Amino acid sequence: MLALINRILDWFKSLFWKEEMELTLVGLQNSGKTTFVNVIASGQFNQDTIPTVGFNMRKITKGNVTIKVWDIGGQPRFRSMWERYCRGVNAIVYMVDAADLDKLDASRNELHNLIEKPQLTGIPVLVLGNKRDLPEALEEKNLIDRMNLNAIQDREICCYSISCKEKENIDITLQWLIAHSKSNIAR
Amino acid sequence: MAFRRDKKEDEDGGNPFQNLDKTAILQEARTFNDTPVNPRKCTHILTKILYLINQGEQLGSLEATDAFFAMTKLFQSKDIILRRMVYLGIKELSKVAEDVIIVTSSLTKDMTGKEDTYRAAAIRALCSITDATMLQAIERYMKQAIVDRNPSVSSAALVSSLHMSRNAGDLVKRWVSEVQEALNSDNVMVQYHALGLMYHIRKSDRLAVTKLVARLTRSSLKSPFAVCMLIRLACKLLEEEGDGSSDNSLFEFIESCMRHKSETVVYEAVHAIVNLRRTTARELTPAVSVLQLFCTSPKPALRFAAVRTLNKVAMTHPSAIIACNVDLENLISDTNRSIATLAITTLLKTGSETSVDRLMKQISSFVNEISDEFKIVVVQAIRDLCEKFPRKHTVLMNFLSGMLRDEGGLDYKAAIADTIITIIEGNPEAKETGLAHLCEFIEDCEHSSLAVRILHLLGREGPRSKQPSRYIRFIYNRVLLECTVVRAAAISALAQFGATCPELLPDILVLLGRCQTDSDDEVRDRATYYYCILTLQQPDLNTRFILEPVQISFANLEKALLDYIQESCFEPFELKKVPAPSVVPNTTTNTLAAPVGIQSEIIPAPVIREESFANRLSSSIPDLSEICGSLFKSSEPVDLTESETEYVVKCYKHCFSKHVVFEFECINTLNEQLLENVRVQLDLPDGYVVIKEISCPKLSYNVPGYVYLLLKFPEEVSDSVGNFGATLKFVVKDCDPITGIPDSDEGYKEDYMLEDIEVTLSDQIRKLNKVNFSAAWEEIDDEEEDTYALSSMSSLEEAVQNIISFLGMQPAERSDKVTQGKSSHTLLLAGTFRNHEDVLVRAKLALGDGVTMQLTVKSNDLTVSKLISSTIG
Repeated sequence: MLALINRILDWFKSLFWKEEMELTLVGLQNSGKTTFVNVIASGQFNQDTIPTVGFNMRKITKGNVTIKVWDIGGQPRFRSMWERYCRGVNAIVYMVDAADLDKLDASRNELHNLIEKPQLTGIPVLVLGNKRDLPEALEEKNLIDRMNLNAIQDREICCYSISCKEKENIDITLQWLIAHSKSNIAR
Repeated sequence: MAFRRDKKEDEDGGNPFQNLDKTAILQEARTFNDTPVNPRKCTHILTKILYLINQGEQLGSLEATDAFFAMTKLFQSKDIILRRMVYLGIKELSKVAEDVIIVTSSLTKDMTGKEDTYRAAAIRALCSITDATMLQAIERYMKQAIVDRNPSVSSAALVSSLHMSRNAGDLVKRWVSEVQEALNSDNVMVQYHALGLMYHIRKSDRLAVTKLVARLTRSSLKSPFAVCMLIRLACKLLEEEGDGSSDNSLFEFIESCMRHKSETVVYEAVHAIVNLRRTTARELTPAVSVLQLFCTSPKPALRFAAVRTLNKVAMTHPSAIIACNVDLENLISDTNRSIATLAITTLLKTGSETSVDRLMKQISSFVNEISDEFKIVVVQAIRDLCEKFPRKHTVLMNFLSGMLRDEGGLDYKAAIADTIITIIEGNPEAKETGLAHLCEFIEDCEHSSLAVRILHLLGREGPRSKQPSRYIRFIYNRVLLECTVVRAAAISALAQFGATCPELLPDILVLLGRCQTDSDDEVRDRATYYYCILTLQQPDLNTRFILEPVQISFANLEKALLDYIQESCFEPFELKKVPAPSVVPNTTTNTLAAPVGIQSEIIPAPVIREESFANRLSSSIPDLSEICGSLFKSSEPVDLTESETEYVVKCYKHCFSKHVVFEFECINTLNEQLLENVRVQLDLPDGYVVIKEISCPKLSYNVPGYVYLLLKFPEEVSDSVGNFGATLKFVVKDCDPITGIPDSDEGYKEDYMLEDIEVTLSDQIRKLNKVNFSAAWEEIDDEEEDTYALSSMSSLEEAVQNIISFLGMQPAERSDKVTQGKSSHTLLLAGTFRNHEDVLVRAKLALGDGVTMQLTVKSNDLTVSKLISSTIG
């Protein structure tokens, strides 16, 4: 009986405190963006995700927060369109393949190009160094250096090292994201 | 919801979208970015955007791109109506917006998803955004969709593939096995679309098409639409084969379709048989009896189709229709006016002279109730009647003038005026009444283009009528009452009277004098110009500057003047050297009107042929203009090979005043060969000298290459007509059929015999329009005269056509029309020889045993006259 009352209470709560957030997921191709969305949505890791041509739109519910994710393709022809999908979102998630050292420079340049856009001032950025399960992957500290994240002073910026395959640090990433949903920022 | 509300507003009267403003709506489109999405509002905005685009509003690339990307945000909504609107929006905006491939992933998800209402529409949208580079990425999905079990998905994929094959034909060709599977579908629509795509894939390969049609005619297709398509394909094959086809199975198939259970198929088969060129009267009879049956059908559409087809057959096989006359008579009183009109006009075509009066009375009873389009059908029928029964012209002409007075659009009025003009030209007895009707018409004519044409006609025909003065009042009234274009035309017409009729000259001068104070520059200029020339009273000036205006194309004149300015300008500019526009024959396009891509592509004929040739030549041959001057005439290409041989060579002859250029267009049809150093060797007749030769360094598979030979004409004009033996010489290298890269550097020389090239009279003579032939004829004294027996000709018409094409000259005073039943005729021709001397020819023809011709040639250059009379013999 008590359990039932609790559930009804929860339901009422969720009715009033239901939160929604919107975030855009960008980064070079093959860094694991679509894989990341699949992992946080269903907990499923899929080795052979096909390259995203354009964008995928996903809605994910975590607790009383609904997260809308714009997962944008990372191939060079789509990079000019990243900005259009980053306008007005709660957070930009920037995915980096921490194990692909050759592409780090390109990745850094694209990130800095993106956040220089005047329309995107002040939007928090979460940089995720993916594939930490691979031996050559960079540590958070090294990644921050290589991505030159210290130079970004005008907004909140955070960097985690994660692995979608081993589902490492996915939980802290989600916590960060939920903390940046609309009402939590207002608080 | 939005739709329903709109509908209600519509019923209230007034279009809710009438006063839409583009900027405001694009502003509204920003709502798409709001969260959460309001589907109803967004659907409404999208509707407005689509409405605007379909009204012809042009969006800029930036505007469209912004709207497009805003629209992509709507993919987050699950509202079905909104999503389908988004698909439509993608299709419309994809033509202008940039980076539209951004929605590829979302669309492929929808087309493979569970929601069936999305799938077909998503495929169509996907194909509109996909360019050739992205096709590979969606190939897998398309192949799956073609064989999908859902018919609308399969159909959408088939039709979209057809559209895409325009840009990526090779890729679509790889889907043949999927299309083949779809062709076996039980669904009416899928089978039809599959056949359409299959034909499109195969159409460049004749053998494959023949096989496809042969196979399908044996199996029975379920879909009536596919059968209709198959009938059309069979017809196309039959037409291409021509009369020499031995294979009768195709025709038998079409005949068997007349017993099909679907009316659509039956009609299609009948329509095909009626329109096939090879159909004999015997084969036509069953088709006509089917149409006869349709005439009594309770369905108006069938009756209409039947009578419309009968109307067409009436032109080719009038006798076959007579059996239907009773049924057609019944249809005259049909409540559907379109059917009635077609019935009457058909009867007019087949009927006898006695029935004309009765039928005309019938038409006039309802002519006001039918649309312009059908009024034009009536007018055309009357035109045919006039040619058939010239004696009936008074009845018909009265009827036409009545129609002219009624309300009607430009096309309709122009058709009537055209008919009256043709009647005037064909029947001298009708001339006076016809002109009178036209005069009356321009008194109250709202279409200035038509008024100008009629004024021009009055200027040409009026002065030669019995009483020219009666037309002057009508024409001068126009000067007083009309807009500037008409006023200017009226003044030109007046001047014609002044130049031709000396007794009217003083009056005309008074009228022109008054016009010199007109408010418009052009009108005033014309009046002054004509006034000055007419006051001089010199007949040759009148002829040169009023009766025979300069015949040059303005584009050519502009080019000639530019060239002239760039040169030294020491010599005075010669108007005669400007190339005259030549008449480009209308390439008749394939008449097979099929819905899915059967129609062969229409190649627009170059407007100014001479000029384009001149540009091409001067870019290929350096210092051409220094050697030869400007281009005089280019002849139609001549094939020097059979059409299906290893190498296809065509020859264009370009004639200059003292030179001739042979342009050989060579095509190598062997994909395992690469030809190098391709040239043409000629056996020259006496007097010709080769000045320059430009060979083609490399001729790869199926890419046309050009070889040029620049020759000087013989000094003696009389030697200029001759035959050239020609041989194609080249070095062959074997090569890889796919890459075209030669296997080795070593090649071997080879010769290829071509047909002889002829330089004829018509290559060297340009058509010239002489309005006042007799005056020009009197001016020249030197003449060359001879009599010939043209034994191979059996009729005067044939002789006239042959002489015109042989000489390449322009018939004057409509002397190319032979009056029926007469045994003698005089043909008058005018032309300009390549040395810019005018040539006039009079050929008196008499029909006896064969045709006898007395030919008189006049030219200021006696050698030219001699050449012509000697070549004919």
